[in-house]
Amino acid sequence: MTQTIQVGHQVPDFELEAYDPASGDFAKFSLAKQKGAGRWTVLFFYPADWTFV
Amino acid sequence: MTISRDTKFVHLAWRTHEKELGTVKYLMASDVKGDVGRMFGVLDEGSGLTLRGTFLVAPDGRLTNAEVNFFNVGRNIDELMRKFKANMYLSKKTTEACPSKWKDEGDLTLTPNARMVGKVHEALKAGGKA
Repeated sequence: MTQTIQVGHQVPDFELEAYDPASGDFAKFSLAKQKGAGRWTVLFFYPADWTFV
Repeated sequence: MTISRDTKFVHLAWRTHEKELGTVKYLMASDVKGDVGRMFGVLDEGSGLTLRGTFLVAPDGRLTNAEVNFFNVGRNIDELMRKFKANMYLSKKTTEACPSKWKDEGDLTLTPNARMVGKVHEALKAGGKA
């Protein structure tokens, strides 16, 4: 995927492996599921773990 | 949800050891290949690291807000919350607009129309009406 998304445009569905501190287990994030549940999503990118945020 | 290119295993270790993350409840996602970072234009191809980008996606899948900070500038929750609140408010009040001084629900908004052209100053003084 090389196209960058512009504000106001649709974000294509994607999935990511994740760690879920709430359950203490591994989980999968799915944008499609978020949308299906009628939820807003905040994506918070940062360079790497063990650095300041 | 937070995203970096670290694996979920490293996320677990970091969350467990760093006391600043003790209250973190949200998902810590792993963008190992950098595909999602690239999609949002925050992947620095030189270093392979992702810039400090924050994106808000509405329930209908629309990208409603984007903010990108360079590596050396941390994010401020008050700056972000104002934009998140404005976008969530406007998703319900689709004819209104949040001016620069808008901070939270109940603050003055504008409802742009033909009479307001060239009269924004007067509209702001008159409580957002033209």
